Order: sequence, then C-alpha cells, then structure tokens
Amino acid sequence: MKSVIIGAHLRRDDIEPLADVLPAGDLFLSGLPVADDQPLGDRELLLRVAKVRAALLDRATFIAIRYGFAAGSAQEAAAKCAMHLDRWLGLLEQHRDEVEMTLKVVAPERVARPDRHDFSSGGDYLKALHAATNAVDVDPEFRTAAEEAIGKGRWLHRDQASLELAALVSRDAVERVRAAGGELKRRFPRIPFLLSGPWPLEVFADAL
Amino acid sequence: MDEELEELTLLETLDHLLDRGVVVAGDAVISIGDVDLLYLGLNIVLANVDAIIRTGRK
Repeated sequence: MKSVIIGAHLRRDDIEPLADVLPAGDLFLSGLPVADDQPLGDRELLLRVAKVRAALLDRATFIAIRYGFAAGSAQEAAAKCAMHLDRWLGLLEQHRDEVEMTLKVVAPERVARPDRHDFSSGGDYLKALHAATNAVDVDPEFRTAAEEAIGKGRWLHRDQASLELAALVSRDAVERVRAAGGELKRRFPRIPFLLSGPWPLEVFADAL
Repeated sequence: MDEELEELTLLETLDHLLDRGVVVAGDAVISIGDVDLLYLGLNIVLANVDAIIRTGRK
C-alpha cells in the first residue's frame, strides 16, 4: 500500500478518522491509502481525495500538498517534507482560524499563446510564455472592488485567459465574503468571475 | 444545484487539487510520469475558464 498525501496538519485529531495519520516532526500528514499499483490519474481516486480534502478542511485549516505526492511509508513522507516542517508549523499556528478564498476573473481578452516554432530556444519560448501569462489583466476598477470584497491578497497569473485573487479569510467571515461576491456580481455584470472557497492554505502555504 | 454550476464547482475543486498547494521534494505531478494527469490538469484550467464565462452569461 502507499498513501496519497493530502495535507499537513497541526493536530492528529484534525485528521482521524477521515484519513490515515503519518507523523512528521511536530506535525501530522494526512494520507489516503491506495494500492501500490493504483494509478494516480484515476478519476475516481481524484474525486475521493477531493472529498476527503474538503472534509478535512471542515475540521481545521491545513497546509495543502499538491496532488501527486505518494509515499510508501510515514518515514518516507516525513523525510520528503522535512525541509518544510518548521515553516508549516509557524503558518498553521498563525492561520489556524483562517481559510483561503479565491476569485478567478476571466480577462476581457485572451492573450495569444506564443508558438514554440517561432523560437529558436526553449528558454526564449518559456520566457515568452511567462510574459504572455503576465500580460493578462482585468479592469482596474474591478480589481479594486474585488480586493474590497474578499481582502487584499495575492493576484496570480495562471494562464493566458484569467487572473486570480487569493486571500486569507477568517472562518467566521466566509459567508460575509460570499455575500460581498454576490454584490460584486451585481455591480459588474459583464465581468465573468468565480468566487470559490473555503480552501486550505494553498497559495499562502508559501512564506507570507 | 444548477447542473452548470455543479460542473463549475467540480472543475474548480479539481483545479485546486491539481494546481495548488505545496509541491513536495520534486514529487510534482509531472515527476510521476503521468502525462495524462498533467493534460487533465491543463484541460481543467481551460474548461474552468470557459465554464465561468458560460455561467456568467446566464
């Protein structure tokens, strides 16, 4: 058996009995046990992990580990996470009562994706791809209003068609933020966006 | 829940699962050698944007 690692948690009882507990230093990793030959790309497994992830977040805020990390033992998982553990401990203690919420905004115009054939080197192509992604922007008035609605967080460029604002929100404020999102929709009916969450610490799992 | 909204929520959930959070020790999705999964991730991002546009027009 191997474990698909879902997150890093402050307390053991944040995990049990929803998932297996894999101790890692002062923290605890949550893992979903699967057969060694289970392909991680399996749709049913993805959906199972997504469901457990949501249930874990209902319990307490945790550091989200990107899907694809599987370990054969608790020791292996802990060893691979070792360099992160001190930072994660600090973040979890600081943000236990907060969750992430994200607002994904569709840009008015999709920036053209660079064509690999136009570049002689892979490095130049990657730079152009990065530049094209960062060229995506949204209405400045909407940008300000979005920050007022969910808070000043981090704006992220994810692709050539959208931008995303991620913010830390107190667990008590999730409903208020959703209501503010509804108001934002009424104020900017022509701008397609999606307010979603709560999510575990994903963007803010990096140092603040 | 409206079917389109349900689809959007599922896409957003999978997008967060596949494209957010800490990448541990180079054990990223890419390194498991599962090209289909990476492809799935990209498709989800694109489909997600399209679904937001469709839902926004309603």
